[in-house]
Amino acid sequence: MKEYKKPLPTPSPWSHPFWEGCKRHELLIQRCKDCGVKIFYPKLYCPSCLSSKLEWIKTSGRGKVYTFTVVYNYPPTEFAQDIPYVVAVIRLEEGVQLMSNIVDCAPEQVKCDMEVEVVFEDVTDEVTLPKFRPISV
Amino acid sequence: MSEPKGKVTIIGIGEVPSGKFPDRPCLQSCIEAARAAILDAGINKDEIDVVMPTGVFYDRRFNTDLIFSKLVEELGLQRKAKENIHVFAGGSSSSAMLKTACALITSGLAKIVLCVQCDKVGSAPTQLMIDLFATFGIPDEWETPYGFFMGATGSLVATRYMHETGTTPEQLASVVLSMRKWAALNPNAMLRRELTIEEILDSKMVATPFTVKESNVLADGGSAFIVADVEISKKVCKTPVYPLGFGSRTLHYAESQNHSLTDYGYAESGKEAFAMAGVSQSDVDIVEFYDGYPIYPLLALEGLGFCKRGEAGAFVQAGNTWPGRKLPMTTNGGMLGQGHTAAGGGVAVLVEGIRQLMGKAGERQVKDAKIMVETSHGGTFMDAHVCVLGNVLP
Repeated sequence: MKEYKKPLPTPSPWSHPFWEGCKRHELLIQRCKDCGVKIFYPKLYCPSCLSSKLEWIKTSGRGKVYTFTVVYNYPPTEFAQDIPYVVAVIRLEEGVQLMSNIVDCAPEQVKCDMEVEVVFEDVTDEVTLPKFRPISV
Repeated sequence: MSEPKGKVTIIGIGEVPSGKFPDRPCLQSCIEAARAAILDAGINKDEIDVVMPTGVFYDRRFNTDLIFSKLVEELGLQRKAKENIHVFAGGSSSSAMLKTACALITSGLAKIVLCVQCDKVGSAPTQLMIDLFATFGIPDEWETPYGFFMGATGSLVATRYMHETGTTPEQLASVVLSMRKWAALNPNAMLRRELTIEEILDSKMVATPFTVKESNVLADGGSAFIVADVEISKKVCKTPVYPLGFGSRTLHYAESQNHSLTDYGYAESGKEAFAMAGVSQSDVDIVEFYDGYPIYPLLALEGLGFCKRGEAGAFVQAGNTWPGRKLPMTTNGGMLGQGHTAAGGGVAVLVEGIRQLMGKAGERQVKDAKIMVETSHGGTFMDAHVCVLGNVLP
């Protein structure tokens, strides 16, 4: 695997299962066993009711582009080689939102509310990043 | 609730020019702004009870110095000042300092509070600052790995807003055009040349839909204001400005976690601020809206009831916010014109509003201005603050 020079996430003890899920190519979120609210990004306690009883559930990996931007100039140093690239906020079918990149798609084709699905990029032996691509109709 | 109206006044302001001043240390900007505010207020500096600096991003060591009473010593207030309180909310430090000062005064804990800001992000290397700001309010675990950075924060809001309202790139660019018209009249502004819509849209694209001319430019700068008990102002101040009403909402830490990026809670916070002030939109003479990127003044115009949803772009495009027009907006030129001095971009907007209400705005003075509304946002536009101020008590 060639050297990956961009910033990598540093998992916390409570987010570790999310990143382990990504390595298995599963997109996981938390759910509160007491109030049922679905949670992303991973929390220590339920932000809705402060319960400690959180469980992990597998998402469908599908959602819509809530919003996005195409970066053309002045990105952070590590991303200079990637321009233009798409940063998007994805709203999953489960209702939670996460940031990612839209891949396998020309940047100018990306639209708000476009349907997308997760695709996993194994960027290092230890880290897999969830990215999203358009669902082909 | 102990509301500030009629009990608290702002009695002095100070500012140094914004721009690239590599030979002007942070401390110099800070002290010159503070000294100017003290002279403007006409108080004996030894009467200052509380020194309230806000945060500095450029120099962590100097920021710590500000926390640890550096300014008390520089201003010779040892054993006179009751306390040094560092109040920092990023870009919304303007509102945070003003509200904290009002609370200290209305509670009787202080009579005179010196609020002061400085930073030096303008003369640092641009790429260094892009990389530094890419760590501010951008979660390293959840957003940094995807190449997100401060310069793209407004873009996410604008993309969704354009999708929902049909607002055009020309209308967004017209916000910059308006800012530059005001900046041209402001000797403390960094970017004083007026721009055409074509120049704005044809400049280099940063993060769609915003070009480099639609992105704030980092600047060195400093500004200060002095908040006092109304009894003090009666003795020293001919042009007191009254904080009248406050409202605000905090929306997110991570921008990706905001599920309603195009409303910002202005309807609720505006309602609270106007109610506390006892005024309505039709009483407002000037709006000093935090910009940073062209989208935020549009959200404020709509959320605070000056325009209907989706119509703010056309309102600005028609020239309504220019000098001499219907609703003067961000009359120092904002961060798109005066320059973005980190936490000070917002402080400068607030100081400008006070300056207008004091009748000290020179060439850009809005005649007979009595009521002003200021907004501010910090971090990745994590919050929205609305402050109503006036030179009369409604």
